[in-house]
Amino acid sequence: MRAPDLRVEGLRVQSREGRVLLAIDHLALPGGQSLALTGASGAGKSTFLHVLSGLVRPHAGRVIWGETDIAALSEDARAAFRRDRLGLVFQDCHLFEELSALGNAALASAFAPRAARAPIRAAAARWLAGLGLGQAGARPVDSFSGGERQRIAVARALAGDPPVILADEPTAALDRANADALGADLVRLAQQDGRGLIVVTHDAGLAVRMTRQLRLADGRIAEDSHA
Amino acid sequence: MRDLWMSLPATAQDAALALALVAPGLLLGLWVMRGLRPLPLVGAMLRRFSWVNGLFVLLIAVSVGLGVGLLAQERGLRQGSARAAEKFDLIVAAPGSEVTVMLASVYLQPSDMALITGAQYAEIAATEGVALAAPIAFGDSHAGAPVVGTTADFVTHLAGPLAAGRSFATAQEAVAGAFAPVDVGDSFTPAHGHGAMAEGDAHAGHAYTVTGRMAATGSPWDRAILVPVEGVWEVHGLASGHAPGTDRIGPPFDAEYMPGTPAVLVRATELWGNYALRSRFTRSDMMAFFPGTVLAQLHGLMRDIRSAMSLMAGLTQVLVALSVLIGLMILVRLIARSLALLRAIGAPLRFVFAVVWSYCAALILSGAALGLALGFVAARGLSALVTARTDVLVTAGLGWPELHLVAGFVSVTLLMALLPAWLAVRRPLLSDLRT
Repeated sequence: MRAPDLRVEGLRVQSREGRVLLAIDHLALPGGQSLALTGASGAGKSTFLHVLSGLVRPHAGRVIWGETDIAALSEDARAAFRRDRLGLVFQDCHLFEELSALGNAALASAFAPRAARAPIRAAAARWLAGLGLGQAGARPVDSFSGGERQRIAVARALAGDPPVILADEPTAALDRANADALGADLVRLAQQDGRGLIVVTHDAGLAVRMTRQLRLADGRIAEDSHA
Repeated sequence: MRDLWMSLPATAQDAALALALVAPGLLLGLWVMRGLRPLPLVGAMLRRFSWVNGLFVLLIAVSVGLGVGLLAQERGLRQGSARAAEKFDLIVAAPGSEVTVMLASVYLQPSDMALITGAQYAEIAATEGVALAAPIAFGDSHAGAPVVGTTADFVTHLAGPLAAGRSFATAQEAVAGAFAPVDVGDSFTPAHGHGAMAEGDAHAGHAYTVTGRMAATGSPWDRAILVPVEGVWEVHGLASGHAPGTDRIGPPFDAEYMPGTPAVLVRATELWGNYALRSRFTRSDMMAFFPGTVLAQLHGLMRDIRSAMSLMAGLTQVLVALSVLIGLMILVRLIARSLALLRAIGAPLRFVFAVVWSYCAALILSGAALGLALGFVAARGLSALVTARTDVLVTAGLGWPELHLVAGFVSVTLLMALLPAWLAVRRPLLSDLRT
C-alpha cells in the first residue's frame, strides 16, 4: 500500500474563546516521508496531530490525505479513515488493562468486518514479535514495563497495516534507553514498508531520526527543516 | 384473537406473556449487536471495575429479589392458606362471625365461641346426605400445641392413614399431629386454655396417652394433638356424649348427653350436596359456611390491598429502573477513556454504542438473574418463617408472575440503557482521551 501524500491548506483551529490555536497556510508532505512536529508546550503540536488524524475538526482549511479531505468528512467517515489509513500511538499507551498484549494489539479486530478480523489478529501477533514481545502475547498488559506497553501500542497502531503512523509523544514516558529503542523501532517499521510517519515529540533524539522537522510556535510553522 | 388466546392452556399463556415481555429487550439486543463483536471488550471493562460493577449488580439484584420474593411469598401464603382449608368442606357453628369460626376451626386460632347443642348436632348428623359430621372441640392445649376433641373419622378425613401407631380407641387416648411436641407412647395432662393464659393444673388427674401420629397435612393441625371429643368433655367434667354405662367413643352421640361443640365439620356424600346442606343449616340458631368461600372473600378483600401493593411495587420498580439508569450513566463515565480510545483508533460509533449498551445489559442481566435467585432464597426463607409462626405450610417458589416481573424489568431497563449508550457516543472524544 502506498502512503498517501499529505497536503494542508489554510488550516485554522480556534479555542472556544476565539484564540488561534493553529494557523498553517500550507504544508505538503510526500507519502512515505517521516516528519517530526516539535516546539514548546502549547505550540499546537498535538492539536495539529489531532487535526491530521481527524480527531479535531478545523474551523477552516483542508487536510488532504491523498485525495481525501479528512476535514470535510463526517464523524463516522473520519473514524473509518483512521481505521483504514492511520495508525495512532498515544503518549500514555491507552491500553485495556484487562486484555492481553495480543488482545490490545488486535483491538481493531473487535470492530473490523468479519473477514478482516483474522488478518488483524495475525498482523498484531506478527508486529508484537517484530517488537520483541512475541512470546508474551497472552500476558495481561498490566504485567509489562512502560517500554513494553508502548511497544504494544505501536503493534496496535500497525495491526491494521495503515500507510501512515501518527504518534503523539510516544517516548515521553520512557527512560532514555527505552525511548531510543522505541524511536528506532518506529522509524525502522515505517521505513521498511514505506509508511508515512508523523511524530509529535519533545525528544530531540527522536526528532532527528525523521527526514523532516517542523517546529511550531503559537500554532504556526516557525521552522521547517529537512535532514 | 381473543378466542385463540383463551383457548390456550394457562402455561402457554404465561410462557407467551413472558416471551412478549422479554422480546423487546431481546430484539433490541439483536439489533444493537448485529454484526458486531463487543463482548470481549465488555468483559474487559467489567473486570476492570469489578468491585463497582459487582456492587451495582448487587443493588439491582436486591431490588429485583425484593419484588420477586414478595410476589412469590404472597402467592405462597394464599395457596398455603387455601390448602389448609381444603379439607374443611362445610363448617356448622352457632351464629356469629364466620371468619372467627374459620380461624378457630381451620387454623386453630383460639376464640370464645357459642356451642352447637347436642340436639343440633344430632339433627346435623342425621340429615340425609351427610357423610361426616365431626365435632371440633377446642380450648385445651399441651406444650403450646392445641388439644382438639373430635372423632377418629375426622382424623382419617384430615390426614388419611396414620403415619405411625393407631388411632384413639378410648377417651384417654390421643393422636399427635405430624409435628406435635409429643411422641407415640407419651402421656400428658392437657392445660385449660392456650398460651400464657393456659391453666396447667386445671385438668389435673386427667391424662391422654398418644397412640399414633398423623401424616403431615400442611396445616396448623400438624401441630395439634387430636383426642376423642368425649375426652374433652370428660376432662371438663361434662357428660360424655353417650348414655351412662356406655363404654365406647365416637358417633352416634346421644343428644341428651352431648354437652355441645363449638363447631361441626360436615361433609356431604356428594360434592353438590354441601350446597344444599349449607342452605339447610343456615338459619337463626346456627350458621353454615364454606371456609374456602370465606377465605376467598378474605383474599378478595386483600386483592384491593394487593392491587395497591402491586401499584407501589410497580412504582418502586420504576424508581429502581430510574436509579439503574442514573447508575449506568455514572458507570459509563468510568469507561469513558476506553470508549474514547476506541473512537480514536477508528471504531464506528455504532460499535461504541454497542459496547456501552452491552456493558449496561451485562450488568442488568446479571443483576436480574441474581435477583431471581435472591428472590427465590428470600421467598423460601420467609416461607419457613411464616410456616413456623402460623403452622400453615407455605411453599413459595418462583412462578410465572415472578418471571413476568423480571422479564418486564429487564426489557424496560435494556430500553433505558439506550440513553447512556447514546450519551456515551456524544461525549467529547479528546477530553475523554486526555482524562
